[in-house]
Amino acid sequence: MRRAHAIRGRRRVTGREGKAVDPVLTTCPFCPCGCGFYLLAREGRTEGVIPSASDPVSRGRLCARGWASHEAPAWGERLTEPLLRHDGRMRPVSWETALDAAAGSLAAMRRAGRTIGVLGSARATNEENYLAVRMARGALQTPHVGTCLSPAYQPLLDGLHDVTERHAGSGGVADLEGCDVIVLVEGDVAVTHPQVAGAIVRARKAGCRLVTIGAVASQMTRLATLAIAAPPGRERAVTFELAAAALATGRLDTATIVAAGETFDELRRSLAGVEVSKAVARAAGWYAQAQRAGIVVAPLVGDATDLRRLAGDVATLAAATGHLDRDGSPLLMLPARGNLRGACEVGASSAFLPGFAPLSDEKAASRLEGVWGVPPARETGLDATAMLSAARGAVIVAEDPSVVLPAGALAREALGRMECVVLLDAFATGALELATVVLPIASFAENDGTVTGLDGRLRRVRAAVGPPGMARPGWAVLGAMLGRLGPAAEYESAEGVRREIARAVPPDAAPRWRELDQVGVAPKGERNGLRRRSLGPLTPCEPVEPAPFVALWNGVFDWGRDPLVRYSPTLCRESVAQRKLFPGGFVELSKEAMERLGVRQGWPVRLKSAGGEAVAPALMRADLAAGVVVVPFALRDGLAPAMGGRSVASVAVERA
Amino acid sequence: MHSNAARTIGKERMREWIGRLMERAEVLAPTSARAGDIILRRISSPLEVQWGGDIPLLPPKQAVLPQTDPLVSIGRGPGGFVVEPVYDETPRVLFGLRSCDVKGIEFLTRVHEYDLADAAYLRRAAAVTSVSVACVAPCAFGFCICCDAGPFLADSFDVQLTDLGDRFLAEVGSEKGGRLLEPSADLFRTGRADEVALRHELEEAAKRAFGPETCHFASAMRRVSVGRVSAELWDEIADTCLECGACNFVCPTCYCFSVKDQARDGRWVRCRTWDSCQFRAFTLEASGHNPREAHRERVKRRFFHKVSAQYFRRDGAVGCVGCGRCVKVCLGTSDMPAVVAAIRKGEWHG
Ligand code: SF4
Ligand code: SF4
Repeated sequence: MRRAHAIRGRRRVTGREGKAVDPVLTTCPFCPCGCGFYLLAREGRTEGVIPSASDPVSRGRLCARGWASHEAPAWGERLTEPLLRHDGRMRPVSWETALDAAAGSLAAMRRAGRTIGVLGSARATNEENYLAVRMARGALQTPHVGTCLSPAYQPLLDGLHDVTERHAGSGGVADLEGCDVIVLVEGDVAVTHPQVAGAIVRARKAGCRLVTIGAVASQMTRLATLAIAAPPGRERAVTFELAAAALATGRLDTATIVAAGETFDELRRSLAGVEVSKAVARAAGWYAQAQRAGIVVAPLVGDATDLRRLAGDVATLAAATGHLDRDGSPLLMLPARGNLRGACEVGASSAFLPGFAPLSDEKAASRLEGVWGVPPARETGLDATAMLSAARGAVIVAEDPSVVLPAGALAREALGRMECVVLLDAFATGALELATVVLPIASFAENDGTVTGLDGRLRRVRAAVGPPGMARPGWAVLGAMLGRLGPAAEYESAEGVRREIARAVPPDAAPRWRELDQVGVAPKGERNGLRRRSLGPLTPCEPVEPAPFVALWNGVFDWGRDPLVRYSPTLCRESVAQRKLFPGGFVELSKEAMERLGVRQGWPVRLKSAGGEAVAPALMRADLAAGVVVVPFALRDGLAPAMGGRSVASVAVERA
Repeated sequence: MHSNAARTIGKERMREWIGRLMERAEVLAPTSARAGDIILRRISSPLEVQWGGDIPLLPPKQAVLPQTDPLVSIGRGPGGFVVEPVYDETPRVLFGLRSCDVKGIEFLTRVHEYDLADAAYLRRAAAVTSVSVACVAPCAFGFCICCDAGPFLADSFDVQLTDLGDRFLAEVGSEKGGRLLEPSADLFRTGRADEVALRHELEEAAKRAFGPETCHFASAMRRVSVGRVSAELWDEIADTCLECGACNFVCPTCYCFSVKDQARDGRWVRCRTWDSCQFRAFTLEASGHNPREAHRERVKRRFFHKVSAQYFRRDGAVGCVGCGRCVKVCLGTSDMPAVVAAIRKGEWHG
């Protein structure tokens, strides 16, 4: 039997039987606000949460998910032993057998020149994502690495980079509370990013003006001073106008203008003819004049180009008005789930090496070769959806792609066609049925490591209990696989992996990975306003054909089927009820539209588009514009034919 | 019967006393946790007790009604399922509580006593003895004075300590409390008249130190009880609530729960878990119908239960002990004093 590359991380942290262990300070595993709190445990099971008033992000305030975060690890269906598919059936095997099988199949596929993809996850730690990247671009020499959620987030970072030469915004959630003006490109942050919503509510109480931009009304739009209705899926149309209007106000930042030189004049000339609505002009005036002004972009549906341009619009707006990197003027792009920013940062990306180093960066490549012992694969990879249809083998860390990817059920079919699927997860998900090898890993409550908040803060995750059964921390399992795939890799702890990340990322990003205190570390030394000495150009939004109805998803992520929600008795209820009542999905229509169509609450309607059609019950939503049809992302599969695989689509609606 | 005569204990003897309490019971006390927060937890040394820090964000409710509370163990026996109740009767001393928290436990115990007595709660609570420290100054967000829950207690306590400088005055308020002092009689002496007088002076000074703008329940109660709060006002308040449930979780008097079976090594343990009346799913019925579908209905429910005359008559107190925790943990801005003020004035400034 092989002795080398045994799995580390067997340390158990439970107290004696029946005894409570001390509360453990850790970071919320749900949304990327990254609230810190203490987990309580007894008899090796998490049983409660204590908020932390001294936590820099939450300051003692948690949302419903944070308060229930102890539940899923203790109540959920956990994976407790390695499983191997044999003659179509899953059987429990030893770790040695499972790891040998996984590494053996992957190595054989690599030798045979088969396409292999590796998926990290916003549900995994930075250390786990990094090791997934090392496995892909290093050991397996494949460029196909990423996460299911990156395609909705990375374009926003790229858009910031276009203006600021930095794949990051600035400031934090708490800064919002001190703002005089907040521009919120809204999805539904009260539900998706409650800590951000809380900061906005308190800012409003203190007299802040809130401008919301969105196609659909929400709690935040009800609180808004000015709610600007955007065409469905086209918030970009408003952000472009907003940037144009701000540049026309004349209240601009001299230093930025001087730095941008001619490019500024060109930009201004190019925007001179842009028609701006009164509402947008007012909002632009408020933003430009404010001492402290924040911009928040919620996760949005739309294509990558639009998202990138939207981020470019708001970054230009912030730069030109002097708010970019100004203390108290946050610019925040909200990742859809927990550690999405961290996953992208450590290189779970088709287009970057760790630390957002470009694939063409020779220094980065030789640095990685030094650390990994092999030069990294440097081609541009496929994104998660394309990867799944092209690959014959996959390693999937803590994700069920068919739940998270927009492609939904299609992703499931793609996985079903593969020769080898190595799945690492703490929880039983739908992906289990499609896996060839299952490697049980620790949930956040049993894991050590770090995650990155939406503000770039590195935060610690600490084990409050030991993993159940034979499960081991993800970093240890990935480390053992890397050991088998070679060149040699040995990790004693999650700390050891983090120290390696510090060596793998560009030198200016390294300190953050080294200097971690009790609660983590906030990004610093990265705030220097406009680094690029140019501004613009900004691309106007292309007009679209007017359609009687535009259908769009109500978000980009389904919390209901995330295992941490699904397995929490407190949090799962609404989603379970919704699925039971509407197994095939439903659509939401305005009162006016329902009257026009002659349908009542719950009656079926048919949605038709060039791509196909689907029938679903219609529910009335009071605050909807007449031509907008909302399709729940969670139940998108049932409506997929009518949406033609898109998140926003022009459709015809009729009584079915 | 216990003797009501006040005793005093020198501060230098406190450790000795706590040490002796630890020999006979689990002692939970405010301690300083990793990030610097004061949290109530089991101590392993008297040195861990933090005197006079912030009020812990979680109330001692966790010691009588834990967030996950095992009620019944269900296993398979030869003749079918075997169902056994789970009781936790571990003797516990809650040391260094605030007055408001003692009132909170008293409130919860009253609720769990009437109608069908709740054995799981009552047995655990019966094994709990509190040692509270009277507050000689109002805490940052507290308004116990409006709910008759502090800063000093006249009743409801087991042992009440008052800081007299180099010593504590210890008043015994129950037999359970008396039993904490009896074996340590050597550490205490009978309180002198001047010490008792000083305690009363401190109480008066503490009461005077509360400002006039605290939390005026009486007029809010009138309006809530007769439904004189407009739907629009409830809507406005609801829009500043983010349905986190924190106000319920940290409230010393809230006890909403759900019940669910947890699988544990081939058995099931039926647990009661904290729930919140602010959650849409709390009243969601299996048919999909929800009697409190609108957010304003849920907010209204919370305040009706807490401050209406109907509940005041049943519970003998408003459902609030003025600890101020909901002010600190509210993710939105709809905490108790803010909403009580809005109800009174008929307008929301959230
Ligand atoms: S706001 Fe986000 S990070 Fe904070 S407790 Fe809620 S889910 Fe967790
Ligand atoms: S603490 Fe505040 S935000 Fe949370 S449920 Fe209660 S009132 Fe609403």
